[in-house]
Amino acid sequence: MTASTLALEDVAFAYPGSGFRVDGLDLAVAPGELVAVIGASGSGKSTVLKLAAGFLTPARGRIVIDGADVTAAPPRTRDLGVVFQAYALFPHMSALENVAYPLKVRGVDGRRRREQALRMLALVGLAALAERRPDQLSGGQQQRVALARALVFRPRALLLDEPLSALDAALRGEMRDEIRRLQREHGIATLHVTHDQEEALSMADRVVVMREGRIEQAGTPRQLYEQPRTRWVASFVGRANLWDGVVREATAVETTIGLLRAGAIRLPPGAPATVLVRPEGVRLGAAPDGANTFRGRLVRDRFLGATRRYDLEVAGGTIAGETSDAGSIDVVHIPPDRVQVIPAGGSS
Amino acid sequence: MAWVTGCYLAYLALPIVLLVVGSVGEIWLNTLLPHGLTGRWYLEVWSDGSFRRAFVVSLEVAAATCVVTALLGLPLAYTIYSAGSRGVRAAARLIALLPIAVPPLVLGFGFVLVFSSDALPYLGSLWVLVAGHVVLTLPYIVQTLVADMRHLRLGILLQAAESLGASGPRRFLDIVLPSLRHSLGSGLVTVAALSIGEFQLSNLVAGFLTRPYPVVLLQAFYGATGFACAATTILLALALLGSVTGSLAARGAGAAGPASA
Repeated sequence: MTASTLALEDVAFAYPGSGFRVDGLDLAVAPGELVAVIGASGSGKSTVLKLAAGFLTPARGRIVIDGADVTAAPPRTRDLGVVFQAYALFPHMSALENVAYPLKVRGVDGRRRREQALRMLALVGLAALAERRPDQLSGGQQQRVALARALVFRPRALLLDEPLSALDAALRGEMRDEIRRLQREHGIATLHVTHDQEEALSMADRVVVMREGRIEQAGTPRQLYEQPRTRWVASFVGRANLWDGVVREATAVETTIGLLRAGAIRLPPGAPATVLVRPEGVRLGAAPDGANTFRGRLVRDRFLGATRRYDLEVAGGTIAGETSDAGSIDVVHIPPDRVQVIPAGGSS
Repeated sequence: MAWVTGCYLAYLALPIVLLVVGSVGEIWLNTLLPHGLTGRWYLEVWSDGSFRRAFVVSLEVAAATCVVTALLGLPLAYTIYSAGSRGVRAAARLIALLPIAVPPLVLGFGFVLVFSSDALPYLGSLWVLVAGHVVLTLPYIVQTLVADMRHLRLGILLQAAESLGASGPRRFLDIVLPSLRHSLGSGLVTVAALSIGEFQLSNLVAGFLTRPYPVVLLQAFYGATGFACAATTILLALALLGSVTGSLAARGAGAAGPASA
């Protein structure tokens, strides 16, 4: 196994007086890897970043950077580049001065730090705006300056705290690619905290899902989407049809909308289960053999450009689906290999 | 709205205009405006040793008050801004604002009691006067600084600087001072203006040789009207000088603020 650049080992932390705590955090970022931490508000994802950066000190556990225990080390000695949600550019400094600042505190002489800062600004496409103050830059430009400032001193790892949340949708997509490009070019281990699951799934090598101060599941974006371990992860990551059910046999489960045929079910007959079907797995029309076919009434139909999202009300529930077909919808079927059966209980 | 503003400005300006006119008037007895034109009242004020000394004392006290309030105000404001507990924030704010709620006269009596004792026999010294002015003016500068810290989200800026490798003193010099230069400057202008015009507390705690200008000015009202007007106009000019100096200092700090790349 590759040694990690940044690791949180069995870390616990409680906010005094609030009752909120994170506990049992085990998280590692390998060299060159981008790990995204996602979760709802109050799940503890920002706390993970603050613990890694040194803004909070854990009550238990260790923070390890490049093999060294830095749990008690102050943030300034950790050599981590941090990009803050609000960018935190120094308002009295130009873009160039902001980017040069970490070099200045490291004692790099004036000419060299100017050269390095300009090179970094050129890398993010802002060399022409080097003399502008933060209030003379757009949100996207400020974000690029913040990224350049966090990378210019070649930190051991990069921490991104919801760096795209203040940008509009179009710019967000562009900046995702920009961050990923720079991260890959520098080969830098990156911990990216975000509430935007689409951002996490599209950028990260691995995603950690947090809930109520604990890690609910960690894995590649595909693993999380296709093999969620709990009902909560299934509902949090992507859109999902979720029905309660009981396993009837090795390939069938009884749900509120009827008997559903599935691939191999790893639960014994009689076991309570949650059935997951992603909307894109629902097909229009009846199955040739009639399995998992449902007739119903279209209750919602949303045109989203390339796709169309619909809700079909059937006996016992609603099936959410996605299609590019523009025709009428009254019968759908779910191929058995699109039916996933997750153990019920534990997580709601 | 414009005429209301105009009337109010006229209401504010009229006494000042009359003071200036009176200070150069030869005689002013039961008439709307004085008769004659003279500069002798200013010469009389200038030739009066007690006024000259008071003028210097006022400048010294205002300057010292500005220095001390800046040194105390910055850390106090940051404590209020960054305190995690609401209770600590509320207590710190209460302590900082208490002098505004307590009349200077009450504060003055407190100073008389404390500093006229055998243990602390310093009543009448310049430093007791400065201490009194500091207590009275500190809340104004603290309020200004806390508001600016919130506006700038200084805590995040300092976290960013720390993550980039800046030590505590470096963060103070590179981030705190330049970021707060405008609010610190405007706060000090207020402190200087309040200190120069302060009378109630100064009248109680000042010694004969440490009387600031407003205390000595009271004597002028028992003499000729022209003399009183000239002495008061000088106080106005003094306050204006403090404000302009403070503004220029703030602007100068602003120009010198940006760090070199």
